[in-house]
Amino acid sequence: MSMLVPCPTCGRRPFTEFTFGGELRDVASADAASDFARVYLHDNAAGPQQERWFHLLGCRRWVTVTRDTGTNRVEA
Amino acid sequence: MADVHDRPVGAIVCAASPEALDRLVAPGHGARMLRVAPDETMAVVAPAFTDDVRRELEDRIAALDADALVLDVSDGWLGLALTGPDADHALSYLSALEPPVADGYVQGDVARVAAKVMREPDGLLLLVPAYWSEHVRARAIEDAGAKARRP
Amino acid sequence: MPSLRLDGRRLDCHDGDTIASAAFRAGVRTFSRSIKAHRRRGLYCGTGDCANCLVTVDGLPGERACVMPARDGMRVERETGWPSVDRDALAINDRLHRFMPVGFYYKVFARPRWLWPIAERVIRRATGTGTLPAVVAARHTRTRFVRVHTLVIGGGVAGLAAAATAAHDRSVVLATEAALGAEVTDPAARDTIARLAAEARAAGAELLEGHTAIGIYEGPSAALLGPDELVEVEAERVIVATGAIEAHGVFPGNDLPGVWLGRGAARMAAIHNVPIGTRAVVVANTGDGAELADALRTAGTDVTLVAGRVLEARGGRQVDSITVLTPEGRRAFACDALVLSLGWAPRDTLLRMTAEPEVVGAGDVVRPGCTLAEAEASGRAAATGTADEPREADPWPITEHDGYVCVCEDVSMHDLERAWDEGWTSSEILKRYTTATMGPCQGALCSRHLAEHARAKGAAPAARGRTTARPPVRGPRLGDLIGGVHEQVERRTALHERHVAAGARMDHSGVWLRPGTYGDVADEIRAARQRVSVMDVSTLGTFLVAGRDARTLLDHVFPIDVGAIAAGRARYLLALDEAGYVMDDGLLAALADGSYFLTSTSGGADRMEAWLRNWIDRLDLHVHLVNQTAQLGAINVAGPHARDLLATLSDDDLSREALPYPGHADITVAGVPCRAIAAGFVGELSFELHHPRGRSVELWDALLAAGAAWDIRPHGLDALDVLRLEKGHVYLAQDTMPDDHPAKLGLGWAVASTKKEFIGKRALERMDALPLERRLVGLRFDGPPQRGHPLALDGAIVGRITSCAVSEAANGPVGLGWLRAVGGEFPSVLRAGEVTATVSPTPFYDPDGERLRG
Repeated sequence: MSMLVPCPTCGRRPFTEFTFGGELRDVASADAASDFARVYLHDNAAGPQQERWFHLLGCRRWVTVTRDTGTNRVEA
Repeated sequence: MADVHDRPVGAIVCAASPEALDRLVAPGHGARMLRVAPDETMAVVAPAFTDDVRRELEDRIAALDADALVLDVSDGWLGLALTGPDADHALSYLSALEPPVADGYVQGDVARVAAKVMREPDGLLLLVPAYWSEHVRARAIEDAGAKARRP
Repeated sequence: MPSLRLDGRRLDCHDGDTIASAAFRAGVRTFSRSIKAHRRRGLYCGTGDCANCLVTVDGLPGERACVMPARDGMRVERETGWPSVDRDALAINDRLHRFMPVGFYYKVFARPRWLWPIAERVIRRATGTGTLPAVVAARHTRTRFVRVHTLVIGGGVAGLAAAATAAHDRSVVLATEAALGAEVTDPAARDTIARLAAEARAAGAELLEGHTAIGIYEGPSAALLGPDELVEVEAERVIVATGAIEAHGVFPGNDLPGVWLGRGAARMAAIHNVPIGTRAVVVANTGDGAELADALRTAGTDVTLVAGRVLEARGGRQVDSITVLTPEGRRAFACDALVLSLGWAPRDTLLRMTAEPEVVGAGDVVRPGCTLAEAEASGRAAATGTADEPREADPWPITEHDGYVCVCEDVSMHDLERAWDEGWTSSEILKRYTTATMGPCQGALCSRHLAEHARAKGAAPAARGRTTARPPVRGPRLGDLIGGVHEQVERRTALHERHVAAGARMDHSGVWLRPGTYGDVADEIRAARQRVSVMDVSTLGTFLVAGRDARTLLDHVFPIDVGAIAAGRARYLLALDEAGYVMDDGLLAALADGSYFLTSTSGGADRMEAWLRNWIDRLDLHVHLVNQTAQLGAINVAGPHARDLLATLSDDDLSREALPYPGHADITVAGVPCRAIAAGFVGELSFELHHPRGRSVELWDALLAAGAAWDIRPHGLDALDVLRLEKGHVYLAQDTMPDDHPAKLGLGWAVASTKKEFIGKRALERMDALPLERRLVGLRFDGPPQRGHPLALDGAIVGRITSCAVSEAANGPVGLGWLRAVGGEFPSVLRAGEVTATVSPTPFYDPDGERLRG
């Protein structure tokens, strides 16, 4: 039922209040070749991963968190 | 359980830099300021004072942030009051949110939509986006309202 | 005397009876037939842990007779056996068992292939438990949310001790399946429970009786199913104190009626005062033997107490003799009841659902067979954070080489041996092949045996683990689980009542409830094409984008030259994701003060907001974004007389000079302030009037009243579908796929390819260099087309119709569909069933766009 995502404005909330924005990645690429890797090739880390969540049912702002994909725990 | 009834509100959004909003002094007329996000605050006030509060906010924020935006968004929100001594318990049938402490508010999932919950002297006030009005009103009456079955 | 009916037979109900005790007192010994061999099954655990006594109560199947309280007027039916449990024709299966070894159905009916569907149907009829009720059960549960520091599951000594200790300085909820103390026979235990319950209550713990924890989830959190509520609990800490039952004994004849686990037998005798038989043997290797024997004697049974290993139980309809290997040697006994206390099996299903360190056990579930004092200490320790680690379980009671391991699924030791020999050599695979632990009790009795069997066979640690436990622990009704969800969560516009009053068929369009038609779709289309029509488009996503970086943001995010949009003008735009695929579309209007007004599709508002806020955040821009979707209503006035209609309600200049296409102006219509956007979706002169939601009804009424002069009609989604199709406009997600970039949709013109930088630009550059493999095309048909129908070339499917309609304005059936390139070329003539489809340029109607430029 609840993996909790820490929102700096609203506190720790169930992930169901959010939409998931994927791994954190760079906002732009230097060239076309590296763009493909940036957009399509994800690290898919087994372990801590920086990722983006949008607090759709709360403050409606984005937050970057570190979640361990093995334990599914989000760092406070 | 609680009594459920509409309570219209005036709502004015003020979008500005976090520093400006931190220093913004609340306008009068009993307006409650909800700091929705670092760069956004919303004033909630009785409908009769909406225009006055909007003008006060425009004046005050302009001095702190020339790029600020103040917008009357009253039409976008439904105010739904849960009144009575059991209002907090009634909320637990609609939401996993902890009811707000005195004078405070929380925002999150209420009846599965994005809503804000404010503490009022006579209970709780839910603020719900206007297009969810019928849905939340119906859920509140059925699950949390005075007619709802006691467990 | 209150009574219930069991298969039509009237049975007396004494005070405190369960269905099972009432039935047993009346002489019922067979409660069900086993799933494969149709063997008689009687009361075994008596504590709700096994599945022998599942019955249908008042039409609802799957109730455990041994724990469900009997009520006057209940209708109870036993669920298995045909024509009845007592006279079961399929009991022949038991004699044919040697022709039905484990897994036989995978092999015997595999060939010839036509045999399997028949065999499957027959097997299904012959097995299974219960029939689903034909009536719709009235929903009676609500969901309640609770946040608490400590959740305790289990109302025995350990659980209550944990709750009492934790409640001194934390919030505590304790959930127990039955009423407190209801299942306890030992007077000392009863007293301890009463004392601890009082302490817990005094300290402020909330005790929820009659609430079953059906699962532990991430968080940790738990779901508690009560008589008429589902409680979702978020806790910092969960203490599981669900106790233990006697270990399941495996030996030949172990499933005969008359073989009991200790506690169940003790309850029947001491709580319900029903003798379990005339002569009983208690075989006890735990310390409970004497206590059990005493409890049984209170109801008048003659009891012999021994320790040792049960070698065999014999009998026909029920047990009549047993052989036990005691320290003194083999001994045989004549008896009509055998009561087992061979070891302990913790009820650890909930603990096995999670590895979170915040979930711990206390009492028998981690120290099976502990004393009352040890249980209390264990509970208190768990509450203060000094919890027990589960001890290595006692060496498992030796099982004989035959007997039923999984009673629910009729899996014997012999079956396990045979399966192992066939090569299914791990507990997980053994489970799946033999179906052991997959029955209603979900391995509560036998998962240890399965793991132990693998260990005894020499399996490596990874291959001999306990199989995973998954929620729910009990089978809840679907109506219980959806307690807090009533129907679709739906958004409504301010004009909802007007549509309903006008007789509209209201459709679910994404999350919105919208009018499909007011009754006559063709009539609505004609009004829009020939006269004037209005549509409620309040569902559109609308946004105000302001602040000093507003233009920078929009320029970066959208593939159009935002700076080239002069104040008063608007531009159609696509929203592309970073892979260059089309996510949404809309209009961008430049306002006089340098800010912008943006619209998106009705379903895309939240996504658009999230998308823009992401870039405001990542690029650190000073932008004020206000989602105005809830705040604004919108009405589209469309048709050749649209301007004429508005002129009767507005003094503002509505000419093309004042309101260019595409463009916008602030006007007042019927006294309502509107932002009028000159739009083009339906292909007629159109004014999309965005106004305060609170004045929607007023504006709509005024437009309809004034529009009567032109015989105005409102139009709904059905008409809109045809109108836009006649112009070749795409419906996102209907005509488009998630990986369509603009060129595939014929929308390359909407991308300012010379622009230096925008999201998706690099992806588009990459894809533009590749040959197009799939395209969305316009189609004309020579007969009535069907949406979704494949398009074929020489019999091979090369595409699909995504939208279609029979169109007056386009002179025939038209549509859109996607096509694959064949040999580097896109075919131009295809077959859709009986109909020929020809690729045609779009728009089908008014290709030069004269109508909408008005």
